[in-house]
Amino acid sequence: MSKEELTKNIHPENYRFKLQMLIERPKNKGIITKEEARQLNGELFSIEYGSAQTSQMIRFYWVYDKEQNRVVSARYTIFGSPTLLAIADMAALLCRNKTPDEIANINYKSLEYFLRDNPVDPAISKERNFSIIFILDALKYAVAKLKGEEIEESPIVCECANITKKSIKESIKEFDLKSTQDITDYTLAGAFCKECISSNRFSHPREFYIEDILKEVKEKLEEEQSKVAQIPDKPFKEMSIEEKREAINAVIDRHIRAMLVMDGGDMEILDIKNNGANTDIYIRYLGACSGCASASTGTLFAIEGILKQKLDPDIRVIPL
Amino acid sequence: MKVYLDNNTLTKIDPLVMEAMQPLLTEQSGDLHSLHSFSSTARKLYKEAMDKIYASIAASDNDDIVITSSGAESNSMLFMGVYISQILTGRRNSIIISQRESPSIMQIAKMLQEQGCKVHKLPINSDGVVEAKTLLDYITPRTALVSIQSVDGESGAINPIEEIVEICKRYEVPFHTNATYALGKVPLNVQDLGVDYLTISGETIHAPAGVGALYIKEGNSIPPLIYGSRSHYEQYRGGPVNVAYSVGFGKAVELAVDALEFEMEDAKELRDELEEALREIDGVTPLIPWSLRVPNTLLISVEGIHSEQLLYELNRVGIGAYSHTIYPFGDWEKKSIIEALGMDSSLKHTTVGFALSRNTTKEEIDYTIKNIKEIISYLKEFSACTTKESK
Repeated sequence: MSKEELTKNIHPENYRFKLQMLIERPKNKGIITKEEARQLNGELFSIEYGSAQTSQMIRFYWVYDKEQNRVVSARYTIFGSPTLLAIADMAALLCRNKTPDEIANINYKSLEYFLRDNPVDPAISKERNFSIIFILDALKYAVAKLKGEEIEESPIVCECANITKKSIKESIKEFDLKSTQDITDYTLAGAFCKECISSNRFSHPREFYIEDILKEVKEKLEEEQSKVAQIPDKPFKEMSIEEKREAINAVIDRHIRAMLVMDGGDMEILDIKNNGANTDIYIRYLGACSGCASASTGTLFAIEGILKQKLDPDIRVIPL
Repeated sequence: MKVYLDNNTLTKIDPLVMEAMQPLLTEQSGDLHSLHSFSSTARKLYKEAMDKIYASIAASDNDDIVITSSGAESNSMLFMGVYISQILTGRRNSIIISQRESPSIMQIAKMLQEQGCKVHKLPINSDGVVEAKTLLDYITPRTALVSIQSVDGESGAINPIEEIVEICKRYEVPFHTNATYALGKVPLNVQDLGVDYLTISGETIHAPAGVGALYIKEGNSIPPLIYGSRSHYEQYRGGPVNVAYSVGFGKAVELAVDALEFEMEDAKELRDELEEALREIDGVTPLIPWSLRVPNTLLISVEGIHSEQLLYELNRVGIGAYSHTIYPFGDWEKKSIIEALGMDSSLKHTTVGFALSRNTTKEEIDYTIKNIKEIISYLKEFSACTTKESK
């Protein structure tokens, strides 16, 4: 606990402007009838996710145009908190005119970003993150249904909120969750009867406990992290070329590669040369990055900036 | 228009209570046990306030009433006291509460359970009340305490305290009741009820939040929860007595008992008007039978509409209602009312309550009825539960 924790305001009057607008005037709510779908030359899909028992439920109405392979219209009906309504409304807007694959690619960052008033402040308080995760899961589920794919089954950990082991594990990895309270904030698992949080001798023993899952995933993550290349422990300028390559690789793995991979790209190091006081790094873009307009401007500056900040100010990055 | 219908959580301070507290808040006053005349007003007012509190629950002069900071403190003091004097010493070994006690009792019971004490939780029946005969399954002469609330703060259900006390007497087990939500809404007479301990609290009876009391029947004794007593005033609770709040509480208790008839007839009429109007709306179910409920409370479940969504929309038009089933604001220590009543679990997150007070007016209720109808029909338009047929 801290002063911030003890006095924070997560009540409705503290909703941000955009969120409030979405709650009070949701534009994409409602249903689509078969007639309307026919007029749009598409097929109507209605996909239900969640349930009223577990406090969150959504039913998407998608008009899917097979020729264009696009969802041409999207609406929803909902059971859940106002926050969920706002997020669902934004999600429905984002689904429009996208291919199913593009919809499945909507991730936490992009959806949350669209809900922000300004780029700096988070859209919703930490306690309400489970609503975003729920909508993302719903979108993935809906796309799988649309494509007729099999949905991978995973054992349920929290019956009250219907949260699977898989989604808890994913949330821990994605958001680097540290405590069981964090897991509740991000997934809603353990919010209600609290039986599934940790084992105690007064209730029926359960197969899974959130505490154990957290421990298991954390151990695995630590193991993986210890395998990632380490930066040698001496000033960058004094390193040999081989050590420099190792250090640069480590920084790229930790801070840069994820950024590129998210947009379907990647990069590789071709060569490293000492050029007087400077270190020249020759790189090649791969995937979507090669040929991207920002590869020689924004992305390049970002890569160079990170390397300069993390290792040495005299680094120069030269794309080939 | 602003309508406050959350009076089971906190009430507006009555102007008469303010007036009674005024001299202690604005003028120089001494501590109760100080040996100078600065304290004489405080001592006089404190005595009067205590008289009022004793009179209002019909406590005998040989009984004790401890002024505490809240109902939660009163409950904690009692449970800790019983644990230390009865359970730790090995005389007795178990505690019986109901499934639907207030968080202070649920949490301390959980703590005692972790310490090795047996805790039994009595279920409620489909009418929302504890049946006295269920107590017979658990009670033994070794039971240290039975604690059943007089009135459920969420649903307003009135428990049959007399019948439960009778069983407890047969087994010579002390009985405690949390009467926070009962004071001023149902007649409360500790002599008739025969309880050993009783908790009351200020925030529900137009006194300031932050004052409560624990009634201890003659012949029972419990150790303090807060140490540091300097005089007889503080023998149950250390630290200077909050005289101003005690005086306010005394006045509030007196007013609550005076207004009991008004609550039971006039306020009830308004509540019934609201209930009748809401009952007509499709999908709305009032939860506890009319005759088993306190006159100021109405708890409904609205099929297909999430409690928080309804509260949000009500708040937009200036109506404050409550729900205990919202994460993270809810109270999930106890069993949710829908589950406890054995109803369809898809209604679990749809309960919204309205608690009136003696200040609620007819205009306010009419305004609420008008708005709630509009809101429910608006929310149903895009509820995932009620629009199923058009799939």
